Amino acid sequence: MASAEEIKQRIEASIPGAQADVEDTTGGGDHFRATVTATAFEGRTRIEQHRLVYDVFGAEIGGPIHALSLKTQSPAQTPPQ
Amino acid sequence: MQTEPTTVQTDPTDAQTQPTDMQTQPTAIQTDTQTEPGASQAQPTSAGDSNPIRDAIAEAIGEHKVILFMKGTPEAPACGFSARTVAALQALDAPFAAVDVLPDPRIRQELSAISNWPTIPQLFANGELIGGCDIVTEMFESGELAEALQ
Repeated sequence: MASAEEIKQRIEASIPGAQADVEDTTGGGDHFRATVTATAFEGRTRIEQHRLVYDVFGAEIGGPIHALSLKTQSPAQTPPQ
Repeated sequence: MQTEPTTVQTDPTDAQTQPTDMQTQPTAIQTDTQTEPGASQAQPTSAGDSNPIRDAIAEAIGEHKVILFMKGTPEAPACGFSARTVAALQALDAPFAAVDVLPDPRIRQELSAISNWPTIPQLFANGELIGGCDIVTEMFESGELAEALQ
């Protein structure tokens, strides 16, 4: 079981220039939603951006972290919505 | 919606000649297809292939223009993320094949090994991974999804 803060810190520690907002969507410590902005995302497709975040957690995704819903962008991109 | 499930036999030859646990747990991935019912009968070329499930998945991705690997079926999704992805495809009236990953955990395992993508659902178009629920939803809202499915 993880906390939103722990997820946030791990993303920010692992991805260069990342800033993450993480929410525990159920309060159960296994479903999270994260919005991640990172310079490392520049020039990468959405798929590649999401893979960078998933790679932080490896096999924990689908295991203890049941779901990690992502929205990713580079600082240069206008935030959607 | 009318769908006719088709069975992709992952390695029927092996199952006949070497009765193992494969007999009690048939290795078949069920494909619900709205476009080509009955079209996908996998014909493994090598009986000695050590990874028939991975081959069947790769073949299904290659055979179907748009294919969704999901939990449950389009009619009865077993997960909210799968349900949202199906809803986006249906909102575009996009024909797609669907594979339920739940009957055999190896389907999910092998799929993720092929796609380098850890979560379900996974949407493929023209043999390429489009993304999971988040990306599909984002692309649906921006209008990019319809283009990606062409």
